[in-house]
Amino acid sequence: MAAIGIVGLVKRFGAVTAIEALDLEVGAGEFFTLLGPSGCGKTTLLRIIAGFERQNAGDLQVGGRLANDIPAHQRDMGMVFQNYAIFPHMSVFDNVAYGLRQRRFNRGEIGAKVSRALDLVRLGGYERRFPDQLSGGQKQRVVLARALVIEPQVLLMDEPLSALDAKVRVGLRRDIRLVQQELGITTLYVTHDQEEALVVSDRIMVMEAGEIRQLGSPREVYEDPANLFVATFIGTSNLLDGRVDRSGGGSVALALGARLDLPDLQAADGTELHLALRPEHLTVLDDGPVPEGLVALEGIVELVSYLGSQSRIAVRIPGVAEVVEVEAPSAAPASALPSGRPVRLGFRPESAFLFAAASGERVR
Amino acid sequence: MAARRKVASAGLRLPDLWTVLTLAALAVLAIFVLWPLANVFTASFYGEFSGSLGLENYATFFGSGYFRRALWHSLFTSAMGTLLALALGLPLAVIAARYDFVGKAALRVLVLLSLISPPFIGAYAWIMLLGRQGLVTQALAGIGIGLPTIYGAPGIILVTALNLYPLVFLLVHGALLRIDRSLEEASLGLGRTRFQTFRSITLPLTLPAMATGALLVFLGVLSDFGTPALLGENYPVLATLAFTLFLSEIGGNPAMASTTSVVLVTVALVLILLQRWVASRRNYATDAINRPEILRMAGWQRFAFPAFAWGLMAIANLPLVIIVYTSFLETSGPVFLQSFSLDSYRQVFHLVRGAIVNSFAFSGMALALIVVTGSVVGYIISRRDTMLTRVLDTALMIPYVIPGTVLGIGFITAFNQPPIWITGTVAIIVAAYFIRRLPYMVRACASYVYQIDRSVEEASINLGAPPGKTFMKIMLPLMAPGILAGAVLAWVEVINELSATVVLYTGTTSTMPIATYSQVLAGSYGPAAAVASLLILATTLSLVLFTVIGGSDRELTV
Repeated sequence: MAAIGIVGLVKRFGAVTAIEALDLEVGAGEFFTLLGPSGCGKTTLLRIIAGFERQNAGDLQVGGRLANDIPAHQRDMGMVFQNYAIFPHMSVFDNVAYGLRQRRFNRGEIGAKVSRALDLVRLGGYERRFPDQLSGGQKQRVVLARALVIEPQVLLMDEPLSALDAKVRVGLRRDIRLVQQELGITTLYVTHDQEEALVVSDRIMVMEAGEIRQLGSPREVYEDPANLFVATFIGTSNLLDGRVDRSGGGSVALALGARLDLPDLQAADGTELHLALRPEHLTVLDDGPVPEGLVALEGIVELVSYLGSQSRIAVRIPGVAEVVEVEAPSAAPASALPSGRPVRLGFRPESAFLFAAASGERVR
Repeated sequence: MAARRKVASAGLRLPDLWTVLTLAALAVLAIFVLWPLANVFTASFYGEFSGSLGLENYATFFGSGYFRRALWHSLFTSAMGTLLALALGLPLAVIAARYDFVGKAALRVLVLLSLISPPFIGAYAWIMLLGRQGLVTQALAGIGIGLPTIYGAPGIILVTALNLYPLVFLLVHGALLRIDRSLEEASLGLGRTRFQTFRSITLPLTLPAMATGALLVFLGVLSDFGTPALLGENYPVLATLAFTLFLSEIGGNPAMASTTSVVLVTVALVLILLQRWVASRRNYATDAINRPEILRMAGWQRFAFPAFAWGLMAIANLPLVIIVYTSFLETSGPVFLQSFSLDSYRQVFHLVRGAIVNSFAFSGMALALIVVTGSVVGYIISRRDTMLTRVLDTALMIPYVIPGTVLGIGFITAFNQPPIWITGTVAIIVAAYFIRRLPYMVRACASYVYQIDRSVEEASINLGAPPGKTFMKIMLPLMAPGILAGAVLAWVEVINELSATVVLYTGTTSTMPIATYSQVLAGSYGPAAAVASLLILATTLSLVLFTVIGGSDRELTV
């Protein structure tokens, strides 16, 4: 049974439509991420589920029951906020105990539950501290414990890591995922950080302008993007222009001149295309002949960025608007190329995603 | 279970708690602000002689030299008082913001003290110094020097400016500290001198603050009753004229009193609108990352700047010293004798004990209402942005602009018949205090609520606390400093309230300011000084409390 069901949900702010006829089912125990750029409606959707906003149309079901008219304080959902929302005038203990006291647990139970929750977020022993004595990461752990301790039906997280330093962020997101799996709690997680979404989620819903662009596992949205928006929003995609042309050899003519042979193309002749290549699908070729099955591109090294085990090589290709990014092991000779050096790149046509330029929809 | 019940009743959802409270607050403002004002407004259109509807009273007003003079007096004293307040407040603000000198830390407290002391106390003290029997006047007359009179315009301008210059100081000082250092450094770096930089960068950036300060001073002088009542003598201004017309012993003239009130309110409204218009066109919201640097005083400045600051402090707070000092002198009518005694206090406790008790009781009751209503309304207008709350926010400006005398006249006109028949009772005075100072509390609370992240509240609701409980358990504790600061200021204002009380009080509902006022008019300077000293004590203690709890200047300037 779905933990959360949404049918035909619409949310407007005045004349602006924030969410457009959205349907969604989140399974029990699932870690479900709403991912998209700011203004895409992901936070609005979370706030509707939490009961802080009310939809203009459509139904929200929680645990199989219609929840449209349940006020926010009766929804039984734990929420973690972007800017902590820790109660500054209460100790860590009182913060975590807040929801339990509201639910009239007795003192003994409250004490036991609070210390278990604090242990879970690795803050055992911090009960007497006050928020101003905690780091950002610790505050967010307190808030997480505060949301979990009431054993809510659903855990809602609104960009919980975005106010934190990079290092803390990575540690905490791992902890969030571990705790979620340990408790098996249905979690809705909002973020604009695609890397974060890929790391923590069971499923990701990619949103743009109030609509779902793709819904799938992290692997699916990265390795099989449904449209140009998803291909460029998640991970890096290098874009080359082309058009469908089955008149000569092959089926696609690149604006740069090369022709590709892709038999399973779902587009009519003359359709303008964007061809997207992940950086790991491009290789730097040596001076010999182009290996069998590869298409070559000529360019000039603009900048090599060292990223540890891997390096990113930015290549300027005449006739391509954006710099093309290539990933190579730092140990490879290519990652030692000086700026300004001519370079030849190769890729396998079948590794490319093809999108119709007009609609952005995937055609292969 | 709860879910099912709620879904079933979805068709007839009740308005939420905050909507109900917003409507209640609007109802209170409608009854205690709009209704009295509407009464005054209506009365002004019913002819003084004919009793028929029309502009007869306005024709009388603008046709008579007497009324026109009062209008002119009001405008003249307000304008001159504002100019003098600017002349005092601006240099002080610059000196305090940009230079260090001995005792600078105490400056703010002394400035605040002269602001929150009621002007009629200043007026009375200056009469004791420069009036006909005044200490300075007598002393100088003894060596053959005659002083210009303090009665009439000069006294009103001097007293109100010394009372209200702190508004200019607080606003401009705040604005100066918000100008980022980099702005002036950029100008200096471009080759401008310090003085040119000050003139072309610093001064223009403080203009909005200056304009707001000037407007507040102008409104303050315009609506002040105590100072012109004590110093005016044959120099009527609108506020005193409305009062005299309304409560004249030879039969009041409510029609012309109302007309005068409407003219007074109109002038105030025009100014407020003008200021809002100016502020909306010129708004440089800057927030300094680096505060401006403290400059070193050079040459003559090392003497002149501290001398100016301390001279002003001494003169502005001199009235308080004089009053406390003379309250311990033996007196005979308006003449102070050379020996100390507690006679004045004995007389006061004997004669006006009721007024003292009343002052604390009325102020206490009003304060309780102000705290409860103000914190809720302050929360509502800063958190809920709906049509209703915006109306409420704007409506709250009205009691701030309406002079006390006018509000008093409106109260009597509106509440001397059913359904609300409270003229002459304690309730009418408490209601007047409550409505006049509610805006202080609302602003003080609102400014704190703005600083509290909305998600803190949502977190509480999310954890199961309903909105009302969330307000009590989360918002109230976090708003506490604002509530306390607002309460202290409201307290100071209500315990010193004269201009509305003087219209509303009866024999049994007299207060300390009324007692001071009538003792001064009766020439009993000793008892007047003693009551005034009690007021000063209450005011000073409140200010100490305000400073200790860390109240900010924002609350003082609304």
